[in-house]
Amino acid sequence: MRIALRGVVKRFGAVTAVDGATLDITDGELFTLLGPSGCGKTTLLRLVAGFYRPPDAGEIRFGERRVDALPPYERNIGMVFQNYALWPHMTVRANIAYGLRLRKLGAAEIAERVERGLRQVNLRGLEDRYPGQLSGGQQQRVALARALVLNPDILLLDEPLSNLDAKIREQVREEIRLLQQALRITTIYVTHDQEEALSLSDRVAVMRDGRIQQVAAPKALYERPANRFVAEFVGTNNFLPGVCRERDEHGAVVETALGLVRGRPGDGVVVGERCLVAVRPENVTLGAPADNLFDGRVAFVSYLGNALRYEVEMSTGVVLKVDVGDAWHHETLAIGRAVRVGFAATVALTLRDE
Amino acid sequence: MGKLDDTLARVRPVWRARPVLPVLGYAAIWVFLVLFLVYPLLRIFYDAFTDEVGRFTVANFVEFAGDAYYVRSLGNSILLGLGTVAATSLIGFAVALLLVRLDFPGRDLFGYLTLIPIISPPLVGVLGVTFIMGRAGTVNVLLEDWFGLTRPINFVYGVHGVLLVETLHLFPMITLNVLDALAKIDPALEEAAESVGARGWRKLRTITLPLTTPGYVAGALLVFIWTFSDFATPLVLGVHDLLAAQAYLNIVQFVDRRLFRMGIVISALMVVLAVVFLVAARRYVAIKDYSSLAYSRVARRRPGPLGQAGAVGFLSLLMLVSFVPYLGVGLASIGKGWSLTPFPLQYTWQYYERVIVETPKYIINSFLCSALAVAGCILVGVPIAWVLARTRAPGRDVLDGLNTLILALPGTAIGIAYIRAFHFPLPGLDLKLTSLWIVLPLVLCIRRLPYTVRGAYASLLLVHPSMEEAAASVGARGARSFRDVTLPLIWRGVLVGSLFSFVTALQEASAVLFLALGGWETIPVGIFAFYIAGSANEAAALGVILILVAAATTLAINRLAGTRMGGMFG
Repeated sequence: MRIALRGVVKRFGAVTAVDGATLDITDGELFTLLGPSGCGKTTLLRLVAGFYRPPDAGEIRFGERRVDALPPYERNIGMVFQNYALWPHMTVRANIAYGLRLRKLGAAEIAERVERGLRQVNLRGLEDRYPGQLSGGQQQRVALARALVLNPDILLLDEPLSNLDAKIREQVREEIRLLQQALRITTIYVTHDQEEALSLSDRVAVMRDGRIQQVAAPKALYERPANRFVAEFVGTNNFLPGVCRERDEHGAVVETALGLVRGRPGDGVVVGERCLVAVRPENVTLGAPADNLFDGRVAFVSYLGNALRYEVEMSTGVVLKVDVGDAWHHETLAIGRAVRVGFAATVALTLRDE
Repeated sequence: MGKLDDTLARVRPVWRARPVLPVLGYAAIWVFLVLFLVYPLLRIFYDAFTDEVGRFTVANFVEFAGDAYYVRSLGNSILLGLGTVAATSLIGFAVALLLVRLDFPGRDLFGYLTLIPIISPPLVGVLGVTFIMGRAGTVNVLLEDWFGLTRPINFVYGVHGVLLVETLHLFPMITLNVLDALAKIDPALEEAAESVGARGWRKLRTITLPLTTPGYVAGALLVFIWTFSDFATPLVLGVHDLLAAQAYLNIVQFVDRRLFRMGIVISALMVVLAVVFLVAARRYVAIKDYSSLAYSRVARRRPGPLGQAGAVGFLSLLMLVSFVPYLGVGLASIGKGWSLTPFPLQYTWQYYERVIVETPKYIINSFLCSALAVAGCILVGVPIAWVLARTRAPGRDVLDGLNTLILALPGTAIGIAYIRAFHFPLPGLDLKLTSLWIVLPLVLCIRRLPYTVRGAYASLLLVHPSMEEAAASVGARGARSFRDVTLPLIWRGVLVGSLFSFVTALQEASAVLFLALGGWETIPVGIFAFYIAGSANEAAALGVILILVAAATTLAINRLAGTRMGGMFG
């Protein structure tokens, strides 16, 4: 089921929680709304679900059908809530069967579909437990099964993993992705966790203050953030402010506190105006030849397990984060040690300064 | 408590350090409870199971079961209790849903008004009903004048009248508990129901109402026990074939030993029933504990003008009927020679003069006894709450159980138990405790202890132990951190609980009627005595005073705690 949003606005009093959201989500896609708390991502999800209806402006279509004003139960959606919202007075079976019973299905069919739903989420043998007797991960699966047994056109997931332990979270994340791909169900996934968004989405929309900042596939989002906010929110970046001196379709040269930096030309970067160079720590190298080379001293070291992060202070006082990916085979440099850092022009993105 | 208990179990320090003082204090609490609660209750069971010379026998119960009148009374009492639960549930749920879910003019005012009946003395309510709805009451007189009614309609005398009075008095018990439960329901639970297709009535029936059951069951239990053990209302309305009424009549006659013993047997039976119902309700609630500690932000819907008018109309009508008793009592307290006319013809303050100036003992005694009782409640109750909320002291669960048991115990049974248990000369004093005035504050303290404990316990739960630990980490020792951190955070809850204890102690009729001594009568005793003696006006004047105090206290509680008083009764 395709979803189309056109200029959707939702206000709460003086606050505009969603400000002109326009999106096209394709059939069978797992689409993620990513952003910090208060950015409007959950509000947008609830607009799609029908808990806020109609929006203050704009329209929402599922396929060709306009749904803005329809209540949730007429939209054929399945929703998983952040705290799961399992009904505590019903067993697992009753929770999952509830929506089926409302649709007046026969007992045999209900049993069959509950059974299938539980199999889909790898949860068997707990049918007669109450939600209070389940672990967080199990509750999460019940909530998922409850949403899926109704064969919804669209699956809506509101921070479904935020209440789980880190280990379980990764496992359930993978299960959700596999299940979604197996069912080819159009899914909107809300999260504030950029790693989660990158790892399971087909496409991601980054939101801030009610506005959509960028819509892109995870790889494009990470490698070509549209603006400083996205570059900062997704992953880690070094930012070097400066003034653009040269720019053509192959490259750009920016004058920064470190001197001239060569980078990729970004949209909206104009010669003679202020701009930013963004470089990710893992793209900065120590003591290797590169397009851009600078001298500095090690100021701080932190061990991250899968990497070793240096903060290198340049003579001008600018600090660059540098990740050494293979920390295993790397002798840690002492603080104060002089080093030469460098990065290629292809990994230095120029961004318009806002 | 479930989930929270688990959390607390982890953070709660094991009863490890054993300084002498706390242990002595804890022991003192136990001595108090054993002496004034456990022992009297055991005593009536001992009496019920022995004969005149102290040999074990079940003959008393055999006699009870063989007496058709008693058996019928038992059946009537249970039926009346169930009927009242049904009627109060219907009204209580409706009011709670209106107050929580809808927005309409006067919502806050109605929220306050619905609390008044519960806090008003039932004895006063039944008097007022007789003035307005009795055989020669306002309604019948008006009907005779307007429609030429020749024989008065019997609105109130009989079981149906008891049902009416108890329902009007007790429906807020259900409202409060349901209100509390509704306010704690996570909105996502209802949204989830909507997302799978449940709406309107269906959602209400299958999701919302079941989620309120734990709170509701607690309220329903109290309604049942209250009705079951109330003897004053039936007696005023001329109904004798109820268990509580039989217990009272059998005990106070003091002449026939056999009847007296049957009174004890009945009260033992009432205790057993109360405990059985309590345990059943607890079992039920324990497996269905959905409460989240937090109150959710409630989105109130403002219905159309018609809906608003409907809500206001329903509540106004209900309030009108609920306040009929107070209107009646108010008129009777200032009306002179009120008979065979719809309203009094002459008005006077003389009845107030009599009960305030001429014989002020009722008011003085009531305030003195209740104040002493509440002091006791705080002294014993706050430490109990602390032990329950913060420690795993041995006997903690029993303490919790006893505290809940008191809520369920019929006042009648406690009164009878005290008569039996303390009717012996105190060693070295040659005086019986039952003939000393201190017995009144004592019994009131025990009866009203749970409210103070609950008030303190509820607010202690909201003070996370880590706050006390943080105080300790910066150098505040035990008592100091309690004074500087805990107390400022819980005094409100303690105060609300104590006010509740106070106002309910003022109104206590059933236990006190057995124990009142000449010269030490409280207001409810005075009301009962005046009414039985035919001086209904004086009874009414005392009733109005009691209502005013209750209303003022409720207002204070409401200000302090909002409408979130449900926890008090659960």
